[in-house]
Amino acid sequence: MDVEAMRALAPAIAIAIGAIGPGIGIGILGGKAMEAIGRNPEAAGEIRTNMILAIAFAEAIAIYALVVALIIKFV
Amino acid sequence: MLKKLFTIRNLVILLLVVALFVVSGMLGLKVPLPEVSIAAETVIHLGPIQITNALLTAWVAMILLIIVAYFATRSIPKDPSSASTGDLVPSGFQNVVEMLIEGFHGMVKSIAGHWTPQFFPIVMTIFLFVVLSNWLGLIPGFGSIGLLEPAHNAEATSYVAHGAILTAEPVHDGYILVPFFRAPSTDLNFTLALALVSVVLSQYFGIRALRLSYFKRFFNFGGFKDGALMGIAELFAGLLEIIAEFAKIISFSFRLFGNIFAGEVLLSVVAFLIPYIVSLPFYGLEVFVGFIQAIVFMMLTLVFFASATIGHGSEEHH
Repeated sequence: MDVEAMRALAPAIAIAIGAIGPGIGIGILGGKAMEAIGRNPEAAGEIRTNMILAIAFAEAIAIYALVVALIIKFV
Repeated sequence: MLKKLFTIRNLVILLLVVALFVVSGMLGLKVPLPEVSIAAETVIHLGPIQITNALLTAWVAMILLIIVAYFATRSIPKDPSSASTGDLVPSGFQNVVEMLIEGFHGMVKSIAGHWTPQFFPIVMTIFLFVVLSNWLGLIPGFGSIGLLEPAHNAEATSYVAHGAILTAEPVHDGYILVPFFRAPSTDLNFTLALALVSVVLSQYFGIRALRLSYFKRFFNFGGFKDGALMGIAELFAGLLEIIAEFAKIISFSFRLFGNIFAGEVLLSVVAFLIPYIVSLPFYGLEVFVGFIQAIVFMMLTLVFFASATIGHGSEEHH
C-alpha cells in the first residue's frame, strides 16, 4: 500500500475505530434511560437531562477521534 | 395534513422548481466545486484585521438576538408597582419568549438551586446564541451565496465527485465559492471562545463560592493525615482534576465544532451525490442536531458551574 492510499485511509480508520466505543456506550446509556423511564415515568424529565449529559461525556471520546482524523486529514 | 400539502398549486410549484434545476443543468451553468475548508474564509480585509464569514454570521446572530430581546421586553412597564394589571399581562410575541425563558429557568433552577440568578443569564445566553447561530447556518443561501474566486488562489484542495466517491484533488481550473455567510460553529475560533468563557467562568464561580478552599480540589494535601500513600493518591487525583479542566476546553470546543462542521459537510456531500430530494431528511436531522448541541453546551456549562460551587470535601461525605 503506497503512502497516498494510506493517507486517504488513515482518517477513516481513526474515526471508524474511535466511534465504536462511544457508539456502544451511547447505546447502553440510551437503553438504560429508556428502561428507567419505563419503570418510573414521572422522573422522565430528570432522567432525560442526565442521559443527555452522560451521552455528551461518551460522545467526547468520539470527538477526540474526530480531532485526530481531522488533524491527519488537514494538517 | 398530507392532503393539504398535495394541492395542485403546490405540485405546480414543485414541478417548476425541478424544471428550473433541469434547465439550468442543460444550459451548462457553471457550478462551483463542492469545497470543504476547515478554516473560515476571509471576506472583508480591514487592514490587519480579517473578517471571516463565520464572524459575520455570528454578528448577524447577535443583532437578531438583540432585536428579539428589544421587542420582547418593550411592553414591560418600567415600574411594575404602579402599572395596572392589564399592562403586566404579556401578550403575543412577549408571551412566546417568556414561555421559552420560563421553561429553561425551571430546568436551570432544578440543577443550580440558589445560584440560579447568577448562572441563568450566562447559560441561557449561551443556549440562545448557539442555537440561533446553528440554525442560521442552515438557512438556504448561507454557505451557498458568495464570491467566486479562481481555484488556484484558494489554498484548500477541493473534493471532486467521481461517481459516488469523493476524492481530494488540488484544483487547477474552475472556481471555488467563498460564501458571505457560514455557520459560526463551523469555525473552531467561535467554539473555542465559548469553551474558554465557560471554563474560565466555572473557575470564577468556584472561587467566589469557596474562596481559597476551591483550590483544594487541585492541590489537596489533606490526604497526608491518613498516611503517605493516601496523601500521594490525593495529590495525584488533584493532578487529574487539573488535566480534566483543560480536557473540558478541548471537548467543549470540538464537540460543537465537530457536530456542526460534520453536518455541513454531510449536507453538501449529499446534495452533490443525490440532489434535491435525499438532502431533505438530512436537513431535518441537522436542525435537530443544532438544537441538541446547543442544549448540551448549555447543560454541561451549567453542571460544571454547579459542581465548581460545591466543596470538594462535602462532595465526598454526602
